Amino acid sequence: MHPVLPWLGGIAVLSFLPLITRTAYDQYLLNVIAINVVLAVGLNIVKGFAGQVTVGHVAVMAIGAYASAVFSVHLGLPFWLALPAAMAVCAGVGLLVGIPALRLEGAYLALATLGLAESVRIVISGTEWLGAAMGFEGIPPPHIGGFVMETHFRYYFVVMPIAVMGIYISFAILRSDMGRAFKAIREDQLAAAASGVHVAKFKLIAFVLSALYAGCAGSLKAHMAPGYLNPNDYSLQEMVTLLLMVIFGGIGHIWGAVIGAIAVTIINDLTQDYYTYRMAIFGGVIVLTVMYMPRGIGGMIEDFWVRKRFAALRAATKARQAAP
Amino acid sequence: MAIRKWALLAAPLLALAATPAKAQDGVIRIGVTLRMVVENGLKYGQMVKDEFEAVNAAGGINGHKIEIQLLDDECKPDKGVSNVNRFIHQTQVDLIIGSTCSSVSMPMVDIVTKEEIPLVIPQSTNQDLTKKGSPWVYRVPVSERFYAAVHAKWLAENVGKKVAYLVTTDTAGIGFAKQYQVYMKKTYSVDPVIEVQAQETDLDFRAALLKIKSMNPDVLAIGGQADAIARVSQQSYEVGIPSRVRRVAASAASNAPVPELGGDSVKGLIYAAAFNCNDERPEAKAFVKLTQTKYGVRCPDHDFSQAYDTVKIVTQALKTANLKLTAGSHAADRMAIRDAMANVKDFHGLASGPISFCAAPTPQCRDGNRTGILVEYTKGGKDYDTKLLARVTFDADFGL
Amino acid sequence: MNLLEIKGLSKRFGGFRALSGIDLNVRQGAVHGIIGPNGSGKSTLFNMISGVYLPEPGSQIVFNGTDITGKPSHEIARLGVARTFQMLRIFEGMSVIENMMVGHHGLTGYSPLAAVFGVKSVRSEERRVRAEMMELLNFIGLADYAEMPAGEMSGGQRRLLALGRAMAAKPKLLMLDEPGAGLSPTNVDILLDTVRALQQRFGLTVIIIEHILKLVMDTCETVSVLEHGEKIAEGTPAEISADHRVIEAYLGREMKDEEVRDFLRSA
Repeated sequence: MHPVLPWLGGIAVLSFLPLITRTAYDQYLLNVIAINVVLAVGLNIVKGFAGQVTVGHVAVMAIGAYASAVFSVHLGLPFWLALPAAMAVCAGVGLLVGIPALRLEGAYLALATLGLAESVRIVISGTEWLGAAMGFEGIPPPHIGGFVMETHFRYYFVVMPIAVMGIYISFAILRSDMGRAFKAIREDQLAAAASGVHVAKFKLIAFVLSALYAGCAGSLKAHMAPGYLNPNDYSLQEMVTLLLMVIFGGIGHIWGAVIGAIAVTIINDLTQDYYTYRMAIFGGVIVLTVMYMPRGIGGMIEDFWVRKRFAALRAATKARQAAP
Repeated sequence: MAIRKWALLAAPLLALAATPAKAQDGVIRIGVTLRMVVENGLKYGQMVKDEFEAVNAAGGINGHKIEIQLLDDECKPDKGVSNVNRFIHQTQVDLIIGSTCSSVSMPMVDIVTKEEIPLVIPQSTNQDLTKKGSPWVYRVPVSERFYAAVHAKWLAENVGKKVAYLVTTDTAGIGFAKQYQVYMKKTYSVDPVIEVQAQETDLDFRAALLKIKSMNPDVLAIGGQADAIARVSQQSYEVGIPSRVRRVAASAASNAPVPELGGDSVKGLIYAAAFNCNDERPEAKAFVKLTQTKYGVRCPDHDFSQAYDTVKIVTQALKTANLKLTAGSHAADRMAIRDAMANVKDFHGLASGPISFCAAPTPQCRDGNRTGILVEYTKGGKDYDTKLLARVTFDADFGL
Repeated sequence: MNLLEIKGLSKRFGGFRALSGIDLNVRQGAVHGIIGPNGSGKSTLFNMISGVYLPEPGSQIVFNGTDITGKPSHEIARLGVARTFQMLRIFEGMSVIENMMVGHHGLTGYSPLAAVFGVKSVRSEERRVRAEMMELLNFIGLADYAEMPAGEMSGGQRRLLALGRAMAAKPKLLMLDEPGAGLSPTNVDILLDTVRALQQRFGLTVIIIEHILKLVMDTCETVSVLEHGEKIAEGTPAEISADHRVIEAYLGREMKDEEVRDFLRSA
């Protein structure tokens, strides 16, 4: 069986989801979730797997969104061409973002990507032909012939399959030799290189891959009704929310990023009515996650699984070590 | 295996779908989205809620209760879009009020137009909002197309037309000077007597001010942020520009650092605004007392006054609308509210002038408030004070 | 025939001369030991051979007929030089089998794009790699632990895994950096047996850095002695044992012949 078949099955099953939602708002929320899944799964590649710190992911998304908007509004490309074109632009940006990662680590790399993140927002805010601070308007929804995918219900059938395929590709890559190379870089660069891993190359590939995801998410965001973009939606606050998705779900777990994106989007939505305490609730979730499950939901599941599976083995090892 | 995983994923989504759609049950539902992340934001948000509750306590709208869903959009367009989607599809409101930031109101206008829900904008001033020509949109605050010329008109008519400009290179400063100059050119065919540009970060403006002094202008226009305005104001007296030369500054002049830094020199400095808390009208005095006692705000700004006016206008319109509020009457009720809003004429509230709407989907009809005010500092320093200097009303076509 | 030929290898860290003009030849199939006190430059030598540090001008490292002076680590590794680290540096967050598969990275042949499209050859290649690595794990006695996170393993197991990961690359030259450090005598024996078995089975050339004299004297055919970044002696274990300078380097003073004999016997 081809490995993509179960995923096509997943798309088929998920196609029924909007039918059982009660209102168009839930369908809208499903679309937001799908976009966040693409975003979080992409961030997980560079952060969770290759272990590179970046706070520029939302900025790359902004570039993807605006690129897609410019391609469709100014150049007249249909969504189906604007999306890959925007992703290509983001791949280039990802390469640029990755270059400092060859020399910098940890907090210094965070600072370098922070510089990028803020400058993207500021440049867009000051650029008239991108709508500046008032925003970019009138981005057309995707269409096939005369069938326009503007309603939340129809748009779901654009974003959901893309999100599922995004998860599949992430799995395919990360369970391959390249995924192991990423993880080896995260764990120990020196040992990775000694094992024959071209550290610099794979670091750059990780940044480019995650930028492709960010660009895809940006483009999907741009063409979603009402087809409006504003630089204010791509600030550090959004980056913190995105990081929370990945941390909450469990850094380095693909399903963790998916669960994190779903959970955080829903928590975000449910707390919207309690705006006075919303930030406090959010901050609380972050603190509690970091304190009590530093490896997130994915890490907890893994710990449970590992403990169960290797309990006997470990006992045997202990017994052997105890023996003289 | 894969199926099981998907089922696992779908579970929380199903839980989400459990929120039932609202039936039409004789209740008027209003969705309100405002920027409330700032401290005052929470207060004016609460005030909007309280004022609608007061309407309910007094018997409601022709016997119908009002239900408010108040949400924070944090001045983030995405949040605003999300809130409006919730209002429309989940809460199924009859009317939306919002928002504070123009960038948030912008996509909201598109959505309500498509979904056919009346939108009353309480605080955003960007002129494009009403230029989109949506029949569903009404704006309570003064549009920036009037705002920019409030001081220009009054100064030209009451002080003089010889204007000297000292402008720092920030967007607000340049915009202020440009609009002033355009107005003078268009209305009176007068050019600036002198225009001097300075850097945002400059501390010493005396050389520029001496040059301006030699030109003997009627008005000194200061474009820039609060710090620059305070310094220029102070240094203009040091170089001996007489007090008969009126100092006028960009809207940043209303910020507290200006009188605090500028001290006595800000006395006589004027700027344009939409509401002044030293307004002597009885309704304004009552309002300031309300914000002081109930919300702890000593001097409410126009964000407060406009939110308050919005509640009153909406209440008045709802009372005249012919609402059925039954199952199936949703679209008709929304249209009735929209048409009732168009019938609001000569509403006298806290706003500087009367507010009137009309049915055509044009800025002329939907920018209801065409009157700005001029505020003058009467005292500088920590315990600074201001007074209302003038009201300036424009034609509906002005600035288009 | 020499598998490794080093000429005039020097390295300076700031004002500190870590290595000065080292010449070293290691014969194909040999087990060569490198001993010396702390700070004598043993680990620096390994780091230079494996490309972690750039050598100074005038240095030359030739491996299997290829000049590898100044080449990056991963290229040297792919030419057939594998190593372990003093601090092991196993990938703790990955499973044991994954550690091995990273070791086999240079020999895993398919493109990531093929993986995305789920091409059949990718799956068969993954199966081959996994099977080979399982075989190797079996050989070093860790097959039961294949799916266990490496971070969960005991000290002895970690040393074996580090050895296995190096072997996964099917190297021609295996460099072991203090393989016996922190192990009980029993475990040292297990490890040495494994190394010998691997060496014989795969025809490896091995270089061992070691503190434990006994381990070197028992295992190695030839031994080099470093002190203060210089090679002070070279020869068979018997020749080295007789060299006064070696004893001084270890004990820091001159010894009588009887004392030397006693010391070596005790070691």
